[in-house]
Amino acid sequence: MDIFPALASVLSDPVLLGWVFLAAIVGMIVGAIPGLTASAAIAMLLPLTFYMEPLPALAFLYVIGKSGRYGGSIAAILFNTPGTAASAATQLDGYPLARQGKAGKAMKVATISSVIGDFIGEILLIVGVAWIATIALKLGPPELFAVYFAAFIVIGSVIGKSVTRGLASAALGVLVAMIGLDPISSTERFTFGSFDLTNGISLVPLMIGIFVLGEVFAQIEERGKTTEMVPDGDDAARNRLTWAEYKPCMPHVIRSSFIGAFIGMLPGLGSAIAAFVAYGEGKRRAKNPDDWGKGALEGVAAPEAANNAVSGPSMAPLLTLGIPGSTIGAILIGVFLIHGIQIGPTLFLTSRDLVYALFACGLIGIAMYGLIGFYGAAFVGRFITRIPTKVLYPVIFLTSFVAAYTSRGNLFDVYVMVAAGFLGWLMRKLDFNPAAFVISFVLAGGAEEAFRQALLLSDNGMMIFITRPIALLFLLIGLTALAVRVRSLNRQSRAVALEEAR
Amino acid sequence: MSAGPTPASRTVAVALILLGVGATFTSMNIALDQYGRWGARIFPLAGSLSLVALGFAELWGARGKPAPTLDRQHLPAIFALLALAVAYVWVMAQFGYLISTALAAPLALWIFGVRNVIGLLAAAVLCPAAYHLIFFELLGVFPPFGRWFDLLDVFGWY
Repeated sequence: MDIFPALASVLSDPVLLGWVFLAAIVGMIVGAIPGLTASAAIAMLLPLTFYMEPLPALAFLYVIGKSGRYGGSIAAILFNTPGTAASAATQLDGYPLARQGKAGKAMKVATISSVIGDFIGEILLIVGVAWIATIALKLGPPELFAVYFAAFIVIGSVIGKSVTRGLASAALGVLVAMIGLDPISSTERFTFGSFDLTNGISLVPLMIGIFVLGEVFAQIEERGKTTEMVPDGDDAARNRLTWAEYKPCMPHVIRSSFIGAFIGMLPGLGSAIAAFVAYGEGKRRAKNPDDWGKGALEGVAAPEAANNAVSGPSMAPLLTLGIPGSTIGAILIGVFLIHGIQIGPTLFLTSRDLVYALFACGLIGIAMYGLIGFYGAAFVGRFITRIPTKVLYPVIFLTSFVAAYTSRGNLFDVYVMVAAGFLGWLMRKLDFNPAAFVISFVLAGGAEEAFRQALLLSDNGMMIFITRPIALLFLLIGLTALAVRVRSLNRQSRAVALEEAR
Repeated sequence: MSAGPTPASRTVAVALILLGVGATFTSMNIALDQYGRWGARIFPLAGSLSLVALGFAELWGARGKPAPTLDRQHLPAIFALLALAVAYVWVMAQFGYLISTALAAPLALWIFGVRNVIGLLAAAVLCPAAYHLIFFELLGVFPPFGRWFDLLDVFGWY
């Protein structure tokens, strides 16, 4: 019940509410700009939050992540271009609705469904997270390493088109994290005699490079393309949403919210997968499956509820185990570290009030972006069409440099950011997985520490991971996830080959 | 191991193997701890050997599959932006933030297709001023001073 005092405390702080409100607007706009993601915005704004108190800093970035996921639906419906990967499923029915002159109605359905999904996800997080943290406190180094191992495998293999390139991205992330001094013996690793490298690669410039500058490089390939907006419909009658119209969406919204919440708890899967799983499941169970893909309101409601329901539960592995479940989680680790807050199961002992105040800010942020979106989504859409991308991306380019410099006041970090930016573009171009790279970079330190502590505890070397049942269970989960993914990709590959043979 | 063909499979596979082999050799040169244990080597070595193994897996998966060709149309612009990025940091180190940003802002806009001369000139003045004001004045970050020359010495904006 810690959430109620936290809510009261947040609601009585107008400055904090102002940050949450600003985050709701910024996230919505960023999410709605095709090509720009909430992760990019958060990475770019991260250095600004060094100068803020921990709670406003975390709340600001956390709510940008939430409202950014919702903002993607605006672009999907109005521009037929998903603002984020997570809103690609929304586009399937959202854009046909817009073509029928019902863009306003589609956006209202998207807003309500996103808000319900996000609330369900957040409430599940609030109810379950302390319980998970209690269990996590009982895990020893062998179990923790097994959890890390499963996370590496799942993150590397499940996202993206190619398992080998996904896992290679994760391995590269681990190798880059090894640069610097070994934390236990202070031995130099991969420093090649460079003094700058002995301090290791800093997380903030790496993330700004991968997510922000990498996107700027990618946007060069989109130069000259204009975003055409479908008229959002001046016909008030056609765009009014009644309860009778929304009622058939409710079972889809509830089911999709739970699907999204479950997928959100698993590290690395993220909102895009949740949205497509919810869309597929919704269509399978729908009374009108033939209408899906042609402008069914349920086809907008299901993926929107799912992709927003991911947001809250994706924080569970981060807050309880220190394992980021998403790119946004990986970036938020930076904020926790910069403010000297140790994440992991002990967070609920050392910073319980802060965590619940963050959850309260999340709940308030959902209500804020819901209200802004319900009444102003079309305005946001019109605003975005007026932003010239040939000016926007050079400004983002310049901002990424100053943001990377600001993190430690060090020009070496800016070089790191440039290298990471090019690497991020190359990874996207070659179907590698930048998210797996960054998340593995973040996980590597903790995984190595747990691994070496486990070996020190062990009398039988590596056998400790096999003889401890929970550790063995997580190792098997990782390997099973890999096997299932390889099998599913081989099946898809065979289907594609058969289709081509015909 | 992918749903469809992935670009440049053989090149990527060879690059992964070479990177992995190089990293393996470098990992083997990491000093042992005072008790002669491999502690500091294990993770770098595991990552390196994983890369080698994944490179061979990629090569195996590319057998008999035609790799889709990469779109090279935008490569000159991409490399121009990369060159600008590296030059921007170097000029920042030698001439400070204001001069480097005054040069980089119009060039970045040019690469993205802005051809309006007044707009480019305005960017050369407004961008350094705005970023300096926000980050180095309002947030109080210590600016990167130029090693050879810095406009801040002239204006006295410290």
